[in-house]
Amino acid sequence: MATPQPDRPTYTAEAIPSDVNNSVFLGNPVIDNLVSCMVAMSAEMWSTKRRMKVLEAVLAQSGISPDKIEKFVPSDAQTAQWTAERDRYIELVMGPLANQGYKKFATDFDKR
Amino acid sequence: MIARRQFLGAAAAAVALVKTSTAQAAVADAVGGLPALPAGLPRGADGRLARMATLDLESLQDFTLGFRLMHSKAIKKASMEAFDRLLEREGIDPATPMSAQQVASLVELDPAITITSRSWLANQQITWKTLRDHFHQYSDHYLSEMEAADRAGPGTLELSPRMVIPDYTRHEIHIQPGGYVGDPFAGHIYHYGTNSFYISVIGHNEQDQIHKATAGRLPLPADGKVRRILDMGCGIGQMTAALKERFPDAEVWGVDVGGPMVRYAHMRAQRLGIGANFAQRLSEDTKFPDNYFDLVTSYIMHHELPASATRSVVDEARRVTRPGGVYYPIDFNSAGTMAPPRAMFGLWWDHRWNNEVWSLEYHGLNFTDEIAARGFSIVKNATAALPGFGIRHAIKQA
Repeated sequence: MATPQPDRPTYTAEAIPSDVNNSVFLGNPVIDNLVSCMVAMSAEMWSTKRRMKVLEAVLAQSGISPDKIEKFVPSDAQTAQWTAERDRYIELVMGPLANQGYKKFATDFDKR
Repeated sequence: MIARRQFLGAAAAAVALVKTSTAQAAVADAVGGLPALPAGLPRGADGRLARMATLDLESLQDFTLGFRLMHSKAIKKASMEAFDRLLEREGIDPATPMSAQQVASLVELDPAITITSRSWLANQQITWKTLRDHFHQYSDHYLSEMEAADRAGPGTLELSPRMVIPDYTRHEIHIQPGGYVGDPFAGHIYHYGTNSFYISVIGHNEQDQIHKATAGRLPLPADGKVRRILDMGCGIGQMTAALKERFPDAEVWGVDVGGPMVRYAHMRAQRLGIGANFAQRLSEDTKFPDNYFDLVTSYIMHHELPASATRSVVDEARRVTRPGGVYYPIDFNSAGTMAPPRAMFGLWWDHRWNNEVWSLEYHGLNFTDEIAARGFSIVKNATAALPGFGIRHAIKQA
C-alpha cells in the first residue's frame, strides 16, 4: 500500500492483499467485472441523485431560478477541476474491467 | 439522521455535538491551521461521529449501506433458496454436518449463488475504495490531524515503528485495502466502513452504542475493585473508550498491532475528552507487569487470529490479570469444523471471501476450553456482554 507522504511516519507495514480481484464467480471473468461495474455505476448514480436533491433544496431556499442554472458557463478552473473529477469517476466505474480473474469460486481454495 | 437523534435523545446528541466541535477547533488551533480541505469542509459532527468529509463520499457510503441492506434481504435470500435447491438436487440432508471443503466444492459455479458473492464483494470494495481514495486525496490534512493529536491528552499514545509485525496480522481482513497495518488511514477507513456493517448486522453504532452497551455489561471482579483495565486488539478503541467512560477513575489501556489503528483510536478519544491510553503492541506480548489488570477483555478479535496466537494471547491474559480478576474475551461462539450445510456455507464464505483468514481455525477451537485450560475458572450461567456472541466470563485462579 503506497504511503502518501514518505517523509512523514505512518506506522504502516506491508499488507498481504486479498485475491478478490483475481477470482471468477460467474464462469467468465468478464461477467464478474461487468457486475462490479454495474454496482459501482449504481453507487455513482445515487451519489449524483442525492447531490441533486440537496442542491434543489438549497437553491429553492435561496430563490435561485432553474433558468440561471441552465445558462451557467463554467470558468477554466472549474472545467479543469470537473475534468479531474470525471476521470476519477470513470476509474471507479470502469476500472474493474482491468481485473485479471483466473481463480475458481471454490475449488481453487488455498490452504490458509 | 432524525431517527437516530430521536433514538439517542436530542439533548444527549446536542451535548455531544458541542463537545466534538470544541475538540475539533482545539486541534485546528494546535497545528496553526491544517492543510486545506475543499471549501466548506469539514462538515461538522453527528454526535460523536465527524460527518463524512464530503457530500459525495457520504452519498456513496449511503448507497453501499442501502445495497448491503437490500442484499441481505433479497439477494442473499434468493441465494440461500438456490443453495437449498442445490442440496436437494444433490441428495444432501440439510441437517447433516459437513466440512468447509465439502461446501466449497458444492457451490462452485451455481450462478444463482455466485452472483450473490460477486455483487456483495463489489459493493464492499466500493465502500472501502471510496473511503480510502478520500483519505489519500487529502492525506496531508489527515496526517496533520493525527500528528497534532499524537502527543496531546487526555490519554497517551505509544507507537512502535520498529516493532516486528507478525505475518498473520497483515491480511486485508474484510478485504479492507491494506488491512489494519498497511494503510496510514486504516483507522479512519475502518471506522466509517464498519458503521454500515453494524447497521445491517447488529444495529446502529455511529455513537458507539454497541460498544457502550457491551462495556456496560462486562462483569466486575467479586471484590468490585476495577483500577486497571486492558482491551486487547483494541482496533480504533471504541471499546477502550467505552470502558474508560464506564470506569472514569480506572487506568484503561487499549493495545493493537496496527499503528494506524491505535493512532486513530487515540486521536478520537482525545477529541472526545476520554483519557484512555493506547499502545501499538501485540496482544500476546503486552509488556505490562504480571497481575496488573483487574479486568481484561477483547472485542471480536480472536477469530482474526490463528489458533496458536489465540493460545498465546490467553496465556498473556492470564499473566497480566490479577488473581480474582476477570477475563472476558468477546467473540463468536465456536462453531466447530463440521456444521449443517447452510451454517457451514456462511462460515466458509466469510472465511474465504470476506477474507476472515483465520476464522475457520478459530471455529475449530473450543475457545472456552482453551481459556479454562490456562488457569482460569469459567463462570457458569454468565451474562452475555454482547448478545448473540459467545459467553466466556473467566476468573483468574489464585
